Formats: sequence, structure tokens, C-alpha cells
Amino acid sequence: MERRSFIKGSFALATIGLLNPILFRHGLSAAEEAIEIPYNDLLNDYLAGKKAEDGSSIMSLNIPEAPENGAVVPVEVTINHPMTADNYISNITVLTTKNKVNKAISFDLTPANGIAYLYVNVKMGQTQDVVILAKTNKGQIFKASQSVRVALGGCG
Amino acid sequence: MELRGVVKILDQIYKVGDVVKAKIIVIHKMDTGFTKDKESGKVFPRFYMKEITATYNGATVAHFDLDVATSQNPVIQFPLKVTGPGTLVVDFVNSENEKAQKTVAITPAG
Repeated sequence: MERRSFIKGSFALATIGLLNPILFRHGLSAAEEAIEIPYNDLLNDYLAGKKAEDGSSIMSLNIPEAPENGAVVPVEVTINHPMTADNYISNITVLTTKNKVNKAISFDLTPANGIAYLYVNVKMGQTQDVVILAKTNKGQIFKASQSVRVALGGCG
Repeated sequence: MELRGVVKILDQIYKVGDVVKAKIIVIHKMDTGFTKDKESGKVFPRFYMKEITATYNGATVAHFDLDVATSQNPVIQFPLKVTGPGTLVVDFVNSENEKAQKTVAITPAG
């Protein structure tokens, strides 16, 4: 009886030992995973103390106001700004305002792109705004936004 | 699982000096880390496409940092000024550091 329980016990220990790296890895990644990124944090990080200028006059947005499904919302932005070697848009960032994680994409441009344009599919959990931020190589920041009405959320 | 992706130039005919649009499609999950499996109740771990870099004739022309607010199977279009014949190389890296590479030839007419 003792021998049997000893064998059983050692077998169980060995199994736990074998599984442990996997369990540990999963536990660790689960702790890292559930991080919500609020919109204001992302915006403040991007601005870094500067003020955003109203970019609605130079940005033309093509976003549906009421898409069928929040899981795929096409966002298309064209920025009417010169793209020469010393004066160009260096970054376009697409944010949402009320998702759990609000960063969609950050696009680093160079003058080799010719024009400042970006198309990307964004997912949205509820009715909220899409915010487009653009930065020039001189540090000027432009901001434009549009409200999107979502009937069927796309974030599970 | 191997990463699957497509890169193509949307314009059919273009010359040197034209601005064309390149399209990238990646077949990839964008799990946020918040959703649960309805049957087992397990949380899907955060798993997403992280970085996409496009290189045209040796120079980086576009760099994308993605996060989980991008939709599943991300579709991206970006502009590119054609300076001559060559290749556009696109590198994909996901959150598990799996890598893939796709190339497309750029052949301006005339």
C-alpha cells in the first residue's frame, strides 16, 4: 500500500513538474494580457505636452457613420500636406475612444510615400469616435475625429 | 501555424514618378485578451499581429505598429512613390515573434 501510494505520488509530482513550465508561462502571460489602455493615456502620450491643432480642414476622412458590424469598420484618411524632404507627415495614428484597448495602428511615413494616406480596418465595441492624429517632422500635431454609430459591437 | 499574408500593388499601369497604392492583407487573429470561449469559459490569450515593415529597394518606406483595436485579418493600404523598377519587401511580426516575409515586384511601364 505504501509503495503504491509512493509510486502514485511520485508520478503526480513528475507530471506537475513537467506541466509546470507551461502553467507558469500561461499564468504569466494572462497577468500581462488583461491591460486596458484608456484613450486619454494614449492621447497624452502622443501629445507629450504639446497642443493638437484642428486638422479637420486638411484631413479628409472616409468612415461610414453607421457600419453594419463593429468588427470591421473601414477607416480611410487622406491628409492634404506636402511630402517634401524637409516638410512631411511623419506619423499617422488611428485611435478609438471607448474600446478597452484604444490603439488601432501607428503608421510611420517617409517622403518616399508621395502622399499622406492610410486605409485600415478598425474594430469597435460600441458607439464612439474614431480619432486620427498626425504628426509632422517638425513636431506639429493635427487631430480630427468622427463619430461612428455601432449597432452590433465587434469586441466580443 | 504559418503566417499567411498578401501584398499587392492596386494600380495596374504606372510610370516612374507616379504614386501607387499598395495593399497588405494578413490572415491573423486579433485576440484582445478579454474575450472568453462561450463553451469552456477560458479566456483567449492576447494574440495579435504586431509589426509590419515595408522596404522598397533597401529603404524602409512604411512601418506599422498594430494593436488589438485593429480588426481581425487586418487590411492596410498605403501610398508609395515609384522611383524605379525593384521589389517591395514586407516583413510581418506577430506578438509571439513569429515572422513571415512577402515580396512583390514593382515594374513601371515605359
